[in-house]
Amino acid sequence: MEKKDRGIILSIKDVNKSFPGVKALDNVSIEIERGIVHGIVGENGAGKSTLMKILSGVYTKDSGTVVFDGEEIEHTTPIESLNRGLSIIYQEFNLVNTMSVGENIFLGRFSEMHGMRGTHAEARKLLDSIGCSIDTHTLVGELSAAEKQMVEITKALSFRSKLIIMDEPSSSLTSDELKQLFSIIGDLRAQGVSIIYISHKLDEIFELCDMVTVMRDGHVIDTRPVGELTRADMITKMVGRSIEHEYPERPHCVGETLMEVRSINTHKLHDISFELKKGEILGFVGLVGAGRTEIVRAICGADKVKGHEVLIGGVPVHIKKPAHAKKLGIGLLPEDRKLQGLVLRFSVQSNIAMASLDKMRKFGFIDASQERGIAERQIANLGIKTPSPQTTVLSLSGGNQQKCVVGRWLEINPQILIMDEPTRGIDVGAKYEIYVLMKQIVENGGSIIMISSELPEVLNMSNRVLTICEGRITGEFNPEEVSAQTIMDSAIG
Amino acid sequence: MTKRFDLKKFLLNYLVLVAIVLLVIITIIVEPKFLSGDNLTNIMRQFGPLSFVSLGMTFVIIGGFIDLSVGGLISLVAVVTVSLIDPLGQLNALIVGVLFGAFLGFLNSMVLISCGALTQAEALFITYGMSAVYSAVALIYTGGSTQHMSWLTTPQTIFTAIGSGTVGIFSVSFIIFLVCLLLLWIFHNKTYSGRSISYTGGNKVAAELSGIPIKRSVILIYTICGLMSAVGSIVLFSRITTAAPIIGKNYETNAILSVVVGGTTLKGGKGSVLRTVLGVLLITLMSNCMNLLGVSAYMQVVLKGAILVLAIWLDNRKEQ
Amino acid sequence: MQTSILSFGKRTLRALTRQKAVIAIIAMLILMLFFKTNFYTSYNLLNVLKDAAVNEIIAFGVTLTVIAAGCDLSVGGVMCLSGITAIQMMNGGMSMWLAITLSILIGALIGFINGFFVVQQRTEAFIITLGMGMLLKGVCQQLTDAHPVSCTNMEFMKIANGKIGGVIPNLAVIMIVFGVLVYALLRYTSFGRNLYAIGGDYEVAKYSGINVVTTKWIAFVLSGAMTAIAGVLLSSKLNTGSSIYGDDTALMVNCGVVVGGTSFAGGVGGIPESFIGLMVLQLLTNCMNMLGIAPYLQQVAQGVVIVGIIWLDCFGRKRKREDV
Repeated sequence: MEKKDRGIILSIKDVNKSFPGVKALDNVSIEIERGIVHGIVGENGAGKSTLMKILSGVYTKDSGTVVFDGEEIEHTTPIESLNRGLSIIYQEFNLVNTMSVGENIFLGRFSEMHGMRGTHAEARKLLDSIGCSIDTHTLVGELSAAEKQMVEITKALSFRSKLIIMDEPSSSLTSDELKQLFSIIGDLRAQGVSIIYISHKLDEIFELCDMVTVMRDGHVIDTRPVGELTRADMITKMVGRSIEHEYPERPHCVGETLMEVRSINTHKLHDISFELKKGEILGFVGLVGAGRTEIVRAICGADKVKGHEVLIGGVPVHIKKPAHAKKLGIGLLPEDRKLQGLVLRFSVQSNIAMASLDKMRKFGFIDASQERGIAERQIANLGIKTPSPQTTVLSLSGGNQQKCVVGRWLEINPQILIMDEPTRGIDVGAKYEIYVLMKQIVENGGSIIMISSELPEVLNMSNRVLTICEGRITGEFNPEEVSAQTIMDSAIG
Repeated sequence: MTKRFDLKKFLLNYLVLVAIVLLVIITIIVEPKFLSGDNLTNIMRQFGPLSFVSLGMTFVIIGGFIDLSVGGLISLVAVVTVSLIDPLGQLNALIVGVLFGAFLGFLNSMVLISCGALTQAEALFITYGMSAVYSAVALIYTGGSTQHMSWLTTPQTIFTAIGSGTVGIFSVSFIIFLVCLLLLWIFHNKTYSGRSISYTGGNKVAAELSGIPIKRSVILIYTICGLMSAVGSIVLFSRITTAAPIIGKNYETNAILSVVVGGTTLKGGKGSVLRTVLGVLLITLMSNCMNLLGVSAYMQVVLKGAILVLAIWLDNRKEQ
Repeated sequence: MQTSILSFGKRTLRALTRQKAVIAIIAMLILMLFFKTNFYTSYNLLNVLKDAAVNEIIAFGVTLTVIAAGCDLSVGGVMCLSGITAIQMMNGGMSMWLAITLSILIGALIGFINGFFVVQQRTEAFIITLGMGMLLKGVCQQLTDAHPVSCTNMEFMKIANGKIGGVIPNLAVIMIVFGVLVYALLRYTSFGRNLYAIGGDYEVAKYSGINVVTTKWIAFVLSGAMTAIAGVLLSSKLNTGSSIYGDDTALMVNCGVVVGGTSFAGGVGGIPESFIGLMVLQLLTNCMNMLGIAPYLQQVAQGVVIVGIIWLDCFGRKRKREDV
């Protein structure tokens, strides 16, 4: 790409931001040119989201200058930022699910739009301009993730944004939807809009971005055109050390068949049957919404499903609720650890001991002294960083929180551990520790079913991979023998 | 690692204790009669029906739910139990009454479970409806009339003992209360079921996935509340020696008040029966102290409402 | 243009039929066709509206708070208080309209205090308004020494008991007027739309530049004011102010609002929903009176209906959740 002098839309200079006990941003300086896609990469805690929140007005910087479109910005509020032409699209979407698409786009601007009719008419025009055909009266809660994203982009357009920040935009998209997103980003770029693209999917950064900034521990490590870096370079800069292996050596402990699942049929799933072997890490690969989580929830009895068979060690078992699964030695680490996995207000100790209540049980009574022992054992075993076992689990980092949930299950020595997105929202260093744990589990005779939306992770850790597409198992592969491309093709269907 | 003693946090967490201490000190200064044996006995006597109901309500709230049916339940249990004293004898009537209350609580939980009610709001309305049903059934049962225990042919020595008997300076009802308190405390902190209730209130989804029996916890909290409310009902009619089909009125709001004032959070998961005791103590002391200080009955209601508002406000600030 | 009318019609129909409350009302109306009673007389039907009016007006105010993801359980106390203060002020020589206005302002003030706790202090609405209601009850008892007070001003009675053109009850008209006003407020003003946003997602609304604190606070003020109006009307209707009114009102009105489809979760519902929801309970009472059912049994029926509708509502959601 030729380096033209496009002009700078956003100039960040020596910005600092501290929170009690941690310096989130340390003399951060970045320049964003007009009309390009500028990627920002970094681990969790690198400072990306703090920086974005300062730009959008949620936080206030401690010092430094921010100049947007020629205007120096001191303090700002989210709505002022929007009105200036700086929009941000968050990973969790800033939309009201109970209101219509049209009203969401013009939220808070009802009177400016001359009421309902004007709102919907203008919304229609904007949606059409990006080729989106969603009815403006549809409730946002009924939309898919990709459609919600379209609404967010339309919202940004309604403010005539000159800079749109996208935070992890691809995490819930199918590859078709991703293509559409890239195409829209391309159109926006052609119109002179700048995009800041925050993602940990390095492939996307390489495909989409013109420039990239790498951040680490609140510092900007480097900003340069994307073509000048390799993937390995980027990871090194992100992590500060050369990670020769992002993953531990793949374990090979596969034994005999342990569990058979036959004919799961629900609205979403069609005739799901597969086997799990002892000591195996079985990966489920598929797009978001393909049905992977539904399969494991059916097996564990978390969803009420009938008509299928589960055999363990050749013996049919009836699992009607998660407690039955637990008795059989099957544990489920849910997708959303904050909502489904942890009791955030309780201590680390209580969270870890949560599945071990019946172990501590004697004639209906609980031997509470065991609880502390269990907690301390797992804290040491997994290297959970916490001031004390009594600390509220809410104050731990994502990685340590996840370890609490893992520890909970390890305590009961499950023969099958199902891990749904085990490293979501966890930084690279902590991810590695979880992989090592997984390896230890299978080396000790356990089996793991691993669901992950990060293909490299599944491909590098699994002994066998099942691809799931639109509720069907479309393929079974050995990731050591088959290319990632083949597997992905099978998952896309 | 030394932990700095955070005075503000301590005060906020144990505000009820501070309030009690302040209240007692002020009252003693203004009216030394507070410390007389008579008055102290009186105070213990005040640990009456409400304290039992509040203990039961504590479990429901810790479990993440709420029970507005206790008012109607108390009325119904009262009229049924009194009506059974003659036919069944007093001991049997007592047992039937307590079990009946537990059954009604169990019924509440069945209604909630059968429709899959998961939230406090849903429980709010359904138990409110159940209260109306129970009250109405009580009215139908007696045809609207009040049953006076003096009309009974069977001697009611047990009930008289419960209502006004004393053992030394302690009233019988107070002793029963202490026993219940001990049992419930042990149940909550030392048993599998008690612990399950805490986890259920903390995060139902996470608890279920970890194998904690959610349905059983829901059944337990409402059954315990029903049972304790029945005990409260018996203490109540034993004291006033009549059972009117409306005697349960307003018990639910006062019980919730006691629990919240004591510091158990409405969000569920965390809390303790001991805290509820403090809450009941504060409310009881307020009545006693204000009577001694000559505050009118209506003003007391106003102040109680003000304390509730204050307690809830602070409960919220504590959690933030 | 045609398609938008069609889609609006389709959406409205779909929204209405989803309401169990509507079905309940239709069921009752059909049921009453089979009995020989005075139900289907204009006199009775107007009476239903008249009897419902006071609670419906409260419901309109409460709806505002529920849409904003709150609720208002202090309405029983506010209702009592406004009636009592209006009458006592009038008895003390104040002109009628001035007394009424001041009572309404007192209601608004209480709403303001509720708003302080719920919005500014972010306290749980249901319990704090419950406490406030208790407090106000005590105030009412204190003010009246627990005796009902009658109004010496003869004009006062006429407000609630009068009929326009000798036929249409004032109360019905007042109720309809308020209903329409609040409906318009919710549908056609920024305030109303912002209220839905706040109830739907507080943070999102905040980041969109909506003044969430002020808007939600005003909802509580309006709820207090409207409840005060209803309380004045009730006292006018009975020509008495008493501290025993409104014991059940708070739960019944909030229940009715939810039964009709204005959910506690916030962001959904509105005047038609709340109106119908509460009407289910009111109509039920009327039907039972017409059928000569004893008061105790009526209470059972009311309880069963409330439990029944909420149960069905929950069950429906459970089915949806488990429909995998």
